Amino acid sequence: MKEYKLLITGTMGAGKTTAIRAISDIEPIVTDVVNHDSSVAKARTTVGLDYGMLSLDNGDRIRLFGTPGQARFDFLWEILARKALGLVILIDNSRPDPLADLAMFLDGFASQLARLPCVVGVGRLDTHPATTLDHYADALEARGMVFPILTVDVRQRADVVSLIDTLLGQIEAGMALDLP
Amino acid sequence: MIDIQNMPAGLPGVAQRAAAACLAEVAGVTAVVIATVDGFDMASAFRGNQDAARIAAMASSISAISSMVAVEAGLGSFKSVTIGTDAGFAIVQAVPRQDVELVIHVIADGDAILAQAMHRVGVIAKLLAGAGA
Repeated sequence: MKEYKLLITGTMGAGKTTAIRAISDIEPIVTDVVNHDSSVAKARTTVGLDYGMLSLDNGDRIRLFGTPGQARFDFLWEILARKALGLVILIDNSRPDPLADLAMFLDGFASQLARLPCVVGVGRLDTHPATTLDHYADALEARGMVFPILTVDVRQRADVVSLIDTLLGQIEAGMALDLP
Repeated sequence: MIDIQNMPAGLPGVAQRAAAACLAEVAGVTAVVIATVDGFDMASAFRGNQDAARIAAMASSISAISSMVAVEAGLGSFKSVTIGTDAGFAIVQAVPRQDVELVIHVIADGDAILAQAMHRVGVIAKLLAGAGA
């Protein structure tokens, strides 16, 4: 049996907690509190970490950790990323500048992304189509990065599973390349 | 950003005076930050240069994770946690309020006496719990 630690990050309100809740086999551990940020219409926000567990059909288990989304918690990003095998970045396409949001996480996890597989999940693209997946691909390419970019509705288990499957595929491909 | 206008009247002022008095009167205390539970600094007092916003965010995370530990262990509501180090200690104390939950974060060096600091933090928590309500 293999155990994977995956990290889910992204902007406040992008749905990190919801994504973990959608696929976790256990009741997730969440550290959300009342939100006092008047710039974001959201009742509660994660300030510590989220944790969930997903068992795969082959017996492997995935430990899912979610980060706070706000940059003021970036000290936790580095801590939570330790020993992670892959990273999911969730972006809320309804925010004013989602490409800047992506840039913030690419910068915030720059050292980890130099070695870790990553998948970008873009939410609310159907209702806010101004920024397209091509725009995200261009933004990554400008940094010399190529990651899968998927549309996602984090409330839908199948969408979140698809993100995780894509990330696991990258991880396993990387492990295969590392074999002697 | 935190909207101070929506804070209970007088609470930020009470918090600022309490932070300043703690720093001035408790030997070894180097920083006092009083923050909302989601990590926005409402009041602070320091010796030297320290980042109130960063300390507030850390206090929020420590409080939230400690709360979850308390729940998972069936230990009731989180009240406080003390972080001992080889150069001093830090105390994170919850301030339960119905309207806006707060967290007090006190950092002290090796000259500080833990019991004295804990007592003072408890006094501040009680003061803030009833202030501006």
